[in-house]
Amino acid sequence: MTAAIETERPPWRRRWLNGNARRRAVTAIRLFAFAALAIWSIATPGFVSPLSLSALMTAISFIGCVAVGMTFITLTGNIMSLSLGVTLSAAALVFLSSLALGIVGACIVAVLFGVAVSGVQGIVIGYFRANPILVSIAALALITGISELVTGGQRVYPTAANFAFFKSRIAGIPVTTLIFLGAVALGELILSGTRFGRAMRMVGSNWRAAEAAGLNAATVVTGAYLLAGAFSAVSGILLAARYGSGDMELGAGYDYSAIAAVLVGGTAIQGGEGSVLRTLIGVSVIAAVEVVLLLRGFPEELQYLVTGIIVLLVIMLHTIGGRE
Amino acid sequence: MKRLIEPTLRPFTIFAGTIVVLALIDRGTGYFFSLATAFSVMQLFATLSLVALGLGLSMLIREFDLSVAGVVGLSGCIAVLTGADHPWFGLLCGLAAGIASGALQGFIMTRLQLSSVGVTLGGLLTMQGITYVLTGNRSIAYGNLPVALGLNAPIASILSVRSAVALAVFFAAAAVMAWTHLGRDVVATGSDRRAAMVAGVKTDRVVIGVFTASGAFAALAGVLLSYSLGAASPAALSDVLAPAAAAAIIGGVSVVGGRGHPLGIAAGVLTLSLLRSGLSAIGVSPHVHEIVTGAILLGIGILEGPDLARRVIAWRLNRTQLESLP
Repeated sequence: MTAAIETERPPWRRRWLNGNARRRAVTAIRLFAFAALAIWSIATPGFVSPLSLSALMTAISFIGCVAVGMTFITLTGNIMSLSLGVTLSAAALVFLSSLALGIVGACIVAVLFGVAVSGVQGIVIGYFRANPILVSIAALALITGISELVTGGQRVYPTAANFAFFKSRIAGIPVTTLIFLGAVALGELILSGTRFGRAMRMVGSNWRAAEAAGLNAATVVTGAYLLAGAFSAVSGILLAARYGSGDMELGAGYDYSAIAAVLVGGTAIQGGEGSVLRTLIGVSVIAAVEVVLLLRGFPEELQYLVTGIIVLLVIMLHTIGGRE
Repeated sequence: MKRLIEPTLRPFTIFAGTIVVLALIDRGTGYFFSLATAFSVMQLFATLSLVALGLGLSMLIREFDLSVAGVVGLSGCIAVLTGADHPWFGLLCGLAAGIASGALQGFIMTRLQLSSVGVTLGGLLTMQGITYVLTGNRSIAYGNLPVALGLNAPIASILSVRSAVALAVFFAAAAVMAWTHLGRDVVATGSDRRAAMVAGVKTDRVVIGVFTASGAFAALAGVLLSYSLGAASPAALSDVLAPAAAAAIIGGVSVVGGRGHPLGIAAGVLTLSLLRSGLSAIGVSPHVHEIVTGAILLGIGILEGPDLARRVIAWRLNRTQLESLP
C-alpha cells in the first residue's frame, strides 16, 4: 500500500504555482483557518469561561492519549491502526480487574497489557512487513473476540476501588488533563529528544534509506507500536477511572477520532513528517470546533459532519502543500 | 496437491476445508447439515458479500476503500428515509449516494494524486457525519413491512431475494473481469500502474471506475440490509469493515495489488458466513467466530509479508552457523 502512496505525478501534468509559492500559500491558508477558528471561538459567548474550558480539556484528554499513540504509528509510515480503540477497552478491563494489586499495580499491569498486545502487531508489521491495516483489523477481531469470551459480554466492575485521585485537581487543573499533558510532553521528548525518535521519522520517510543508514527499521517500527499500545492503555485507565466500570464499548470509535486528530494536526499520512505537538493542536482544534458548535446551538450530529469535512480538507491541503 | 494452495485456488480449498472441519465437529448430529443452516449462511452472505466485493476490487488495484463502511450506513439511511412509500425510489436514492461518493473520492484521488487511505478515511468520517445529521442520531424505523418480509422470504428454501441479488452481482462482476477489456485493464492497473499507463490503459479512469463500483456495491448492500431489517441507524452498521476485509483476503485478494477474483471473494465470504452460522449451529460461542476470523486474517497477513522469506532464511542460516560452531 505504501507503493500506492508513492506513485508519482506524471510529468506532463501541469500544476498551479511552483513548489515554494504553493507551500507558502498552503501555510497561509492554514494560519488563516487557525486564526479564524480562534476568533470564532472567543467571539462565542460562554467559550472563555472556566467551566467550558475545563470541559474542553477533559474531553481532549481521553482521545488525546490515543492520538499521541497513533502519531507514532502514522509517523513510521504505517498509516493508522484500527485496533487502538479495542486495545484501550481491553486495557481498561484489565485495569479494573487487577485493582486488587492496588491502583499503581493495576496501572502497571494495564500498560504492560497494552504494550504486549500492540507490540505483537509491531513485530509482525516491522519484521515481516505485513500490511499494517490488515494486521490491525486482524487484531481488532482477535482482541474483541477474546475479551468478550473472557468477560462473557458483561460489564466489568471493580472489586474495591478508590478513584478519588483521578477525579481530583492539582492547582485547579483536573488530574486527567495533567496526565494527558504529561503524555504529550513525554511523547514529544521521545520524538524530538532521542535517537529513537529521529529513527522513527527516518523509517517513516524512507524505509530503505533508513536501513541503508544502518538503522534496524523493524525494531524501530516495533518500538512505535509499543508506545502506541502504552498510550492507549493510559487512556483506557483514565476512562475506566472516570466511569468506574468498563466494557468493550468504552473505546468504540476512538481509532477514527484519534487518526482524525493526528491528520488535522498536520502529520503527513504517508509518514516521516509530524510531531506530537501537532497532534495536540489537532485534538484541540477538533474539540474547539465541537464546543463552539454546541454553544452556538447547532445539533450535536453536525459535529461529526464538520469533523469529517475538516479531515478531508486537511488531507487534500497537506498533500498539495507537501509535494515537491 | 500443490496447486490447491496456489492463490487462485486457495479460497476454494479453504472453503472446502471449512466444510470438512465443521462436518467433523458436527459428527452427523445433523445440526450443521440442514437447509436452515444453508439459508442462514446465504443471508449472511447477502449482508457481507457486496461490501467485500467493493473493498476487494479496490484492493485489486492496490488501493484501500475505507469508506465502504460509511456508504453502507449512509445509503441505508437515505433509502429508509426516502423509500417508505416507493421502495424503488429509495433504492435509487441510496445507490445514487453511493455512486456519487465513490466517483467523487476517485476523482479527488486521481486529480490530486492522493493516497486512497487518506481520502477514503476523510470520506468515511464525512459520510458518517451526514448519516448522523440525516437521522438526527436516532434509529429510524422502516414502515414498509411487506418489502422487508419479501426481501427475506426464502426462494428454493436456500436463497432469498437479497442473497439472489448479491449472487447475481457477483456473477456479473466475474463475467466483466473474465471476458472484457475492462477486467484486464483493472488487473493491469493493480499489477503495475506505470506499465499499464505506458501500455495505454487509462489508469485514472480505472481508479475512478473501481471506486464508483465499490460505492455502488456498498450502497446496494446498505439499502438491502436496512430494508430487510426494517430499520436504519447511524451507528449500527459500522462494524462491517473488518469482516469485509477478512473475506476479501481469505478470498485470495492480495494487498499488493493485481491479484484477486470476484468468485474467490465469494468463496471467502461463504467461508466466513459458514464459520459464523456453522459454529453457532454446533453451539460454540459466537465470539469464537471472531477469534477464528482474526487468526486467519493475521496468518494470511504474515504469509503475505514481503520480508517473511528473508527473515526465515536469515534465522535458518543463523541456526546452522551456530550448530556448525565447534
